[in-house]
Amino acid sequence: MTAIIEFKNYTWRYLNTSAPALKNINLQIEEGKFIGIIGPNGAGKTTLAYSMDGLVPGQYHGIKDGEVIILGKEVEKYERGELQRSVGMVFSDPEAQFTAMTVEDELVFGMENLGMSISEIRERLEWVTDLTDLKHLLNKPPYEISGGQKQRVALAAVLAMTPKVMLLDEPTSMLDPISRKRVFDVLAQLKREQSNTVIVIEHSLENLIPLADQMVLLSDGEVMLFDETQAFFQQTSLLVEKGIHPPGAARFFHELQQKGYYAGDIPLTVEKAARKLGQMLPEFPSREEASRT
Amino acid sequence: MNDNQPYIEVRDLIYEYPDGTRALNQINLQVYKGEFIALIGQNGSGKTTLSKCLNGLFKPTSGDVLVEGLNSKNTPIVQMVRRVGYVFQNPDHQLFNNNCWDEIAYGPRNIQLEEADVRERVEEAAKVVGLPEKYYTEHPFFLTKGQRQRVAIASILALRPTVIIVDEPTTGQDARQSFEIMDFLKDLNETHGHTVIIITHDMPIVAQYTRRVVAMGLAQILADGPTAQVFTQTEVLARTFIEPPQITQLAQKSTSLGFSPGILVVGEMLARYEELAGAARK
Repeated sequence: MTAIIEFKNYTWRYLNTSAPALKNINLQIEEGKFIGIIGPNGAGKTTLAYSMDGLVPGQYHGIKDGEVIILGKEVEKYERGELQRSVGMVFSDPEAQFTAMTVEDELVFGMENLGMSISEIRERLEWVTDLTDLKHLLNKPPYEISGGQKQRVALAAVLAMTPKVMLLDEPTSMLDPISRKRVFDVLAQLKREQSNTVIVIEHSLENLIPLADQMVLLSDGEVMLFDETQAFFQQTSLLVEKGIHPPGAARFFHELQQKGYYAGDIPLTVEKAARKLGQMLPEFPSREEASRT
Repeated sequence: MNDNQPYIEVRDLIYEYPDGTRALNQINLQVYKGEFIALIGQNGSGKTTLSKCLNGLFKPTSGDVLVEGLNSKNTPIVQMVRRVGYVFQNPDHQLFNNNCWDEIAYGPRNIQLEEADVRERVEEAAKVVGLPEKYYTEHPFFLTKGQRQRVAIASILALRPTVIIVDEPTTGQDARQSFEIMDFLKDLNETHGHTVIIITHDMPIVAQYTRRVVAMGLAQILADGPTAQVFTQTEVLARTFIEPPQITQLAQKSTSLGFSPGILVVGEMLARYEELAGAARK
């Protein structure tokens, strides 16, 4: 399988900073994969995302070494605006990307800029508002809706342009649990129905784990770990050392491993963990049985 | 005041916004000195409105809020904010001075303390939050988010409130930063004797740090009790779309093996596992 995104010995240092934000990154992302990127704040996650849609080096001054190849072409070789047709970016602060006075105009803006026909725009608007459950909000100003709705508008606006690669930078960090779940529901549907490559930077691992095919751990500007999600979380010691806090079930089984009570794979969901635990312990005797023995 | 009496007492509180929206509907709540409480619930459930009623910023539409026996209806806000401090979710919405010193001094100056007292309060608050002296003259926006949050908390602490309400202290922070800020709040609670109320969506943090949970939904209090006990009320929590932490969910799915449904942290789960595995071996 060919890589849709390839980092080759890529280093980036922002001007007027002493240490590079990203150091010698080598990473290949295959088309159609769902990738989770995690790491502590300040690890370089956002810079990595910016490097994939041309904001770095396009909008920032700095020193670059190595290459970032998207769809077979180095980022800097793209004409202005050309790369953004293939790579869509959703920011953590949705208001940062709003320009229009209604949700509908917001969703249509990107498509108009791509020069789509009115009939195609209408069709895609229908599809995208259905997927993100925004139909009832089309006439509202984007600043008057809730945080979760704003985030879905930001997502839908990018989705409507059907970019081959979608980058999402902490799309749910400002949301409450239900709004967060609804954003991830949209991503899950996207994963099932579309063939986009989706790359999500996220702290909320419980939502990310069931969707991600592969995970990247970034720490201090370097890729510390890149693997299939199941294998990735077997490295719990490394993750904890780098300031990542895996979900409770995984940490519990990691502790069992450390103490020598358990030697198998670390389960990543509550359901799998409960099944494993059921195999390890007998049913707890009921009170009657306990008093008889 | 007797310590067995609640420090804050909310009776049949109803709060309606000017457009008639009822944000709080029949709230009854007692808060005692020294508690560490999590206020949870979806956005729009009334958590922040309740907080603003507790520090007197909002006056009840009907019902009463009593703080140390003072009714918020006829107590000047200056008296209220000295007792209940509210720290904004986003420190950038709160910080507006050109340096950290002035930021922290703003409250004490505003209640018209002498400059010598102001100095004492600022130094005390800066020390509690661990803000080094070299940052006193620094502009808050040159600090990291975690440091800005500490300055925001210090500016509230400088009023020496008994109760401090912190709105979403860990939002946007990574795991390590979240533990840092929560350890600091724990210290405020345990060492400095402040009553701490956090508003949060982070259930593992609630499980690990707080002793009592007040769950809100649809402008009402749906559940109120010890943290472990509230997390076992899964149906009530589901009504406000909250799931207990993953380790608690695992314990709840494993009660037939002998795990208590009120397990809150991995350490407890592990200790119980060792007991059960030991018993099974015998």
